[in-house]
Amino acid sequence: MRTRHRWFAALVGVAFLSLSIQRAALAGVIDTEEYLNALDRQATIEHIDSVLARDEVRAALEQHGVDPAQASERVAALNDHELHALATDLDNLPAGGSILAVAGIVFIVLLILELVGVIDIFKKI
Amino acid sequence: MPFFPQTEYQCGPAALATLLASAGAPVTADELGPEVYVEGLRGSLQAELLGATRRHGLIPYVLAPRSEALLAEIGAGRPVLVLQNLGLPRVPVWHYAVVVGYDAERDAIVLRSGTEQRRLERSRRFLRSWQRGAEWAFVAVEPGALPATATPDAYVRAVADAERLLPARGADAAFAAALDRWPDDELVLFSAANRRLGGHDAAEAIALYRRLLARDPGHAAARNNLANALADEGCYAQALLEARAARSAVAAGDALYAAIDDTVATIERAATAVPAAACP
Repeated sequence: MRTRHRWFAALVGVAFLSLSIQRAALAGVIDTEEYLNALDRQATIEHIDSVLARDEVRAALEQHGVDPAQASERVAALNDHELHALATDLDNLPAGGSILAVAGIVFIVLLILELVGVIDIFKKI
Repeated sequence: MPFFPQTEYQCGPAALATLLASAGAPVTADELGPEVYVEGLRGSLQAELLGATRRHGLIPYVLAPRSEALLAEIGAGRPVLVLQNLGLPRVPVWHYAVVVGYDAERDAIVLRSGTEQRRLERSRRFLRSWQRGAEWAFVAVEPGALPATATPDAYVRAVADAERLLPARGADAAFAAALDRWPDDELVLFSAANRRLGGHDAAEAIALYRRLLARDPGHAAARNNLANALADEGCYAQALLEARAARSAVAAGDALYAAIDDTVATIERAATAVPAAACP
């Protein structure tokens, strides 16, 4: 029984060894994303920045009421460029669905523009 | 074609559900709310609509900011999610809708918008609101299909961004579709070869890297990866030659230098550890 165990352990050891040799041989592969980043200096900067940006965006989403578990998955679906944009200026980016936050004279001007057909704010959205 | 009417501020999840369901992803607006909506902004961000599309196994492809691109996709039967500014440049009211057709007779754009399943907007008026949103639009592409207006460069980037989130078969199909459509494009060849190498189909990857290198012998990244693929097949002598050639093709300060140098070092170590095999 004991010899059998030892034999099995040796087999597993060899399997791991050959696996690690294969893995090691693939260590320097340049994947498509890495290659595209290398072509473009701005992309390189955004890539280096992306780990930080991911944390910033996740924190910002949570601050804005997004469930923390969802926030992690949501930032994981973004590319470097998108993360960078959101980390830089999340509050001022277009957020489709926003309401009109104006009153008084601006409101009246908008109403007139709507009536003459320049804008389309007051339709049912 | 599916339609999900929106509730308050929820034009993002609603428009996205309409788009994704049209591309065959079984998802509803209610399910997408927690994936894209941001309570504090009372709206959804463009980047997150793209991210959620990836999470549902589809490839978001942002269109060139031209009305011709939008109409070409519609003409090919593919709905387009658009960002409109219904207000003014200084007083924006951002809104997402899905363009599903063009009514030539009335010169009107047909939209799924808000609570309206079929809204007609005069072309000029629609285009003005779209231009105020920087003409942003995207389509959701099922792996294996190509958008009508796809360019090899933009399509490969879109797939590379989605690759981690797609099922393996989906990502394979997406790169294969690009290779079918643009068999001689260098970025397409490179990315398709990388996909094969990552999927442990080293033999096919080697063939694709060689095809690319026949067109562009100075492509150091391809030569570096060819070296890795050869090493993966146990062909260390050939791998070492390719790795060294790749290294001598780039300057020491190049962004790819470290990876290539790593390849050379790794293969040098492996070459002494394992005897040479019979190689092609």
